[in-house]
Amino acid sequence: MAQAVNVIELGGVVKRYRSGQNVVEALKGVDFHARHGEMVTIIGPSGSGKSTMLNLIGLLDTPTEGSVYLDGTDVTDFTGDELTEERRSKLGFVFQAFHLLPMLTAVENVELPSRWDTSVDRRDRAIDLLERVGLGDRLDHTPEELSGGQKQRVAIARSLINEPDVVLADEPTGNLDQDTSRTILEELTRLKEEEDVAIVAVTHDEQLLEYTDRVVELVDGRIQS
Amino acid sequence: MTRFRPFRRFPSVEIAWQNLGRNRVRTGLATLGIIIGVVAIVSLGMAGAAIQQQANTNLGSLTSDVIVSSGADSDQDGITDGQVDDIRSVVVDADVVPQKSNATTLSTRSGESVRVSVTGVSQADALYETSAGEAPERLRSGALLSADTAEELGLELGDPVEYDGTLYRLRGFIESDDGFGPGGDELVLPLSALSEQEYYDTVTVVAADGDAATSIADTLEAEFNDEDEEILSVRSFAGAQEDINSFLGTLNLALLGIGLISLVVASVAILNIMLMSTIERRGEIGVLRAVGIRRGEVLRMILAEAAFLGIIGGIIGAILSLGTGLVLFEVLAGDATLVFGWESSRYLLYGFGFAVFASVVSGLYPAWKAANDPPVEALRG
Repeated sequence: MAQAVNVIELGGVVKRYRSGQNVVEALKGVDFHARHGEMVTIIGPSGSGKSTMLNLIGLLDTPTEGSVYLDGTDVTDFTGDELTEERRSKLGFVFQAFHLLPMLTAVENVELPSRWDTSVDRRDRAIDLLERVGLGDRLDHTPEELSGGQKQRVAIARSLINEPDVVLADEPTGNLDQDTSRTILEELTRLKEEEDVAIVAVTHDEQLLEYTDRVVELVDGRIQS
Repeated sequence: MTRFRPFRRFPSVEIAWQNLGRNRVRTGLATLGIIIGVVAIVSLGMAGAAIQQQANTNLGSLTSDVIVSSGADSDQDGITDGQVDDIRSVVVDADVVPQKSNATTLSTRSGESVRVSVTGVSQADALYETSAGEAPERLRSGALLSADTAEELGLELGDPVEYDGTLYRLRGFIESDDGFGPGGDELVLPLSALSEQEYYDTVTVVAADGDAATSIADTLEAEFNDEDEEILSVRSFAGAQEDINSFLGTLNLALLGIGLISLVVASVAILNIMLMSTIERRGEIGVLRAVGIRRGEVLRMILAEAAFLGIIGGIIGAILSLGTGLVLFEVLAGDATLVFGWESSRYLLYGFGFAVFASVVSGLYPAWKAANDPPVEALRG
């Protein structure tokens, strides 16, 4: 179950973008953390810096000031290639638009992040994960043969293939109806506990808040507490 | 469940292969461009090879012959036995064939007559090929006649012909040469038939090839002649062959150049298609990068896609070109199987190699661009 160690941590993070002539400060000194087995949801109005924050937690972007810690390691000054390695081994991603590769079957999509590591065969884990999200009979279906909810379940299975510490979910229910959203959130909650991962989600969906352990509200680049 | 996966150990290649199947029309069009380029290069190269082959066959023996006759400063009107011996002593690895020449009129009983040139020669087989009968190594009796002349006069093997009061039986018909060689109406007799001529009119040195002929001609020039005095007139047509070969070489290059242009056009098409396809898949490549696929792996994936287009196009193009080559050689050289000779079949290898090379080069920029696109930007679309 949940450990007391912060698996991901932001310390005094500032992110500035150059947008044409102007410099936009998307995050103005943000502290954040998440623990194993915990689901934290970031909410806030459009333009509050939610996506920027998720990109920093997901190691897809680096902060202008402040530090990022993953599993107790300061990864702030890691190179792009080092960050890629960290994402591969410790992070999983679930996107609003699912982003499955259309020519691959469900099981191949789940396997994809581990595909380049030829030393391990994750096929069995991929099948196991798909069975656990209720798609045991859809293993060889391509995304176009799956419904939106099924696609998102494939995406969730994909995010867990490399046994990550953190799963980042960007509007995971944004493209789904209410009933489907509910089942997806139930899956996500169950897997969070089974796999002992931290889930950091960004959403507008009120429903998601029922399943979350903690809510962080971001307004104009600052956390409201 | 268990599918055949030949590229299991090379995930970039495997994904690239699966990507090709996604937009079959686009893959087909890209491949078609390559196929056209390969067929253009290979068939133009093969056409050049076929023309060259045909030219060599036609020029044939002429270019390997050195013709020696009496020079302007010679003391006598012809070549003496002594000079023939001198030539033999200088020339190695080549037949030295002295000849005497004259002309006569052959007529039949039915009143038809043909003016023929008469050649007295002993080593008939060194100079003549026969379409019927034989050209003996030492012609002591009997005669050879141009096949066309024999037909005109209605003569057959074994029929007698008369020269200078003596009858000679026809032992063979000389194949009419459609090249530059000694042609026309010709009667070949033993040297003894022209015995009243003291000197030889010409000596033909039959060398192995054009290069040997050139060096023999140079040796003879140096041995018998100097700047002021031309004892023997030495002529060789090897120079002409060199000129023709060099012209054919230029022609070949020009043809290949045209072929290359079409392959360049094809690779620009691939560049365009790969660029479009990576821009279209930008978000998807962003996802790959987000889930931890390395830059090098994305680069290899796109390059492998381009290489596949080149390999598929190259193979189909080579097969089609082989067909074209068979037709070309059948028409130009009269023998379709000559296309398998290295001189022409190497263009299949070149065409295939260029196709793969051009495709990979065209894939470099799109691959580099896709691999280095920051994942945040790519995911945003």
